[in-house]
Amino acid sequence: MFKHLFKLIWNKRKQNFLFLSEILISFLVIFAVFSYLTYYYQNYSKPLGFDYKRVWSVSYGNRQLPKDRDSLVIFYDNLTKSLKAMPQIENVTFSSSNYPYSDSFMSTGLTQNRRKFDRVSNFMVGDDYQKVWNVPLLEGRWFLPEDAVGKDKGVIINETLKNEMFGSQKAAGKLIGDFDDKNKLKVIGVVADIKANGDFQPGNNAVFSRLDTGYLRWTGTLLIKVRPNADATFESGLYKFMATTTHSAIEIQHVDEMRDTRNRQTIIPMVIFIIIATFLIINVALGLFGVLWYNINKRKGEIGLRRAIGASGRSVSYQLVLEAMILATMSLIVGCFFAIQFPLLSVFNIPASVYIVAMLLSILFIYLLVLFCSLYPGKQAAGIHPAIALHEE
Amino acid sequence: MIRLQNIEKVYRTDTVETLAINGISLDIAKGEFLSIMGPSGCGKSTLLNIMGLLDEPSKGNISIDEQDISRFSDQKLAKFRNQKLGFIFQSYHLINDLRVLDNVELPLLYRNSSAKERKMLATAALEKVGLSNRLKHFPTQLSGGQRQRVAIARAIVGNPQIILADEPTGNLDSAMGNEIMDILINLNKNEGTTIVMVTHDESMAHKTHRLVRLFDGSQVQ
Repeated sequence: MFKHLFKLIWNKRKQNFLFLSEILISFLVIFAVFSYLTYYYQNYSKPLGFDYKRVWSVSYGNRQLPKDRDSLVIFYDNLTKSLKAMPQIENVTFSSSNYPYSDSFMSTGLTQNRRKFDRVSNFMVGDDYQKVWNVPLLEGRWFLPEDAVGKDKGVIINETLKNEMFGSQKAAGKLIGDFDDKNKLKVIGVVADIKANGDFQPGNNAVFSRLDTGYLRWTGTLLIKVRPNADATFESGLYKFMATTTHSAIEIQHVDEMRDTRNRQTIIPMVIFIIIATFLIINVALGLFGVLWYNINKRKGEIGLRRAIGASGRSVSYQLVLEAMILATMSLIVGCFFAIQFPLLSVFNIPASVYIVAMLLSILFIYLLVLFCSLYPGKQAAGIHPAIALHEE
Repeated sequence: MIRLQNIEKVYRTDTVETLAINGISLDIAKGEFLSIMGPSGCGKSTLLNIMGLLDEPSKGNISIDEQDISRFSDQKLAKFRNQKLGFIFQSYHLINDLRVLDNVELPLLYRNSSAKERKMLATAALEKVGLSNRLKHFPTQLSGGQRQRVAIARAIVGNPQIILADEPTGNLDSAMGNEIMDILINLNKNEGTTIVMVTHDESMAHKTHRLVRLFDGSQVQ
């Protein structure tokens, strides 16, 4: 029966062109939607890698601060001590502006064994950064003040980068190169991946460097882990304290609110995309239904004949559903040819597994859609009275 | 072979009730070639559809090959039609998107025959009707007479005991019609196939063993 139906479909390929095109376009749209959703789901299901709760970011202007490096070091030292002395504050650290959820990015390149690693997120951090964010340390240690005088500049890398560079080997103690491999950097620790750009974004390759005194001049971000009793009154007091101390405008942001904002930036387009795709799928489903319905009405004579020569109502229904499935398979073969190019060519730098899962889900979805759209017309075809169908023809 | 007992067929709509067949009883013997004649709308095709199990009578009994088919399920009826009956229609009812050979193979598809066996039987059937040189043609590339011969090949490919022909020469000129009639007569003579043929053509009807005339749904001869 398969061969027979295939012959019938092939000989009617011109009439089936609309159906084939509809399925192909639907598959490509569904593949895009599922790639999008699979990518976000895979990222979402991975651990966050840090604790954002009760972390506040304090941005300040650094123009009014002492210009002299030693004075600046003393100023920041005093500032840190004053803040840590406040009972509502658990810990304090300085950071480059690209802290989690800040919507700010800073990247660098690294080399290891002549291999280049581009677009590595570069975090400049203070000694208490790990404690503020509670980042799990997987290997080695976090920065210590003594690292300021080490022979090779110490860096901490995240797990993904460690796996890419060293595989299953230990990374702590190994030397890597900076972007042009001129300066050596010593890996002193490995931390878990942190999803700094939101729950739905990947924890890309990341390197953490210790904020040295040379960078202090450009620092304008303070991260504070507060205690549960830190309320609006304390926030107001903190604001006044920082404004008075730094002689600049202050902005205090709660990182949990920043996280919500960042996640919304992913969720809203995702919802819009899903709504558009849903409307498209509804239209396609109605289209398929219409095409199949039209085909059945056009083929009443053939259906009557098949009933006369030995087809039961059920087998007529089965044949029509099977025909729709074969047509869907033909479209899916073409669609998969295009879809498979995405993992093969590493389009958008997204893992191949995302595209493969999306492809399988899309195939399943299309088959279910075609099955759903062909069941009722198939049932109607089964109910066609052979004598009437043959007479009408 | 075919026994019709007091067959009645009524078509009902919301307002009208039409009696298409009125109490027809008929016995058709094995190997008989029977023709049914009558004016348009007298119930010839309806009677043939009832004999072919494509339609159900409103009243009466029908048995074929000594089997009472009134309690057959749809599945069983389909199998019965496939194995015992062959149909020939005035408008051929060939599938234009399939080649001649594939059209003739159609009844065998519902028998789970192998592709090889289907091809062999279909080729043999087409040889019987003189169309072995048109296997790869599409129906639209054939004349009316050739199409009807394809339809006959399709009807006989499964080696049925009964052939039901609904005006098989109705769309053909007299020469073509005679050719088709000769094929049917040969089938009846040589293979012993029971044939029931509806026709408007008196000369064709006289070539058969027995003529049944209908008028307004009743048998008049």
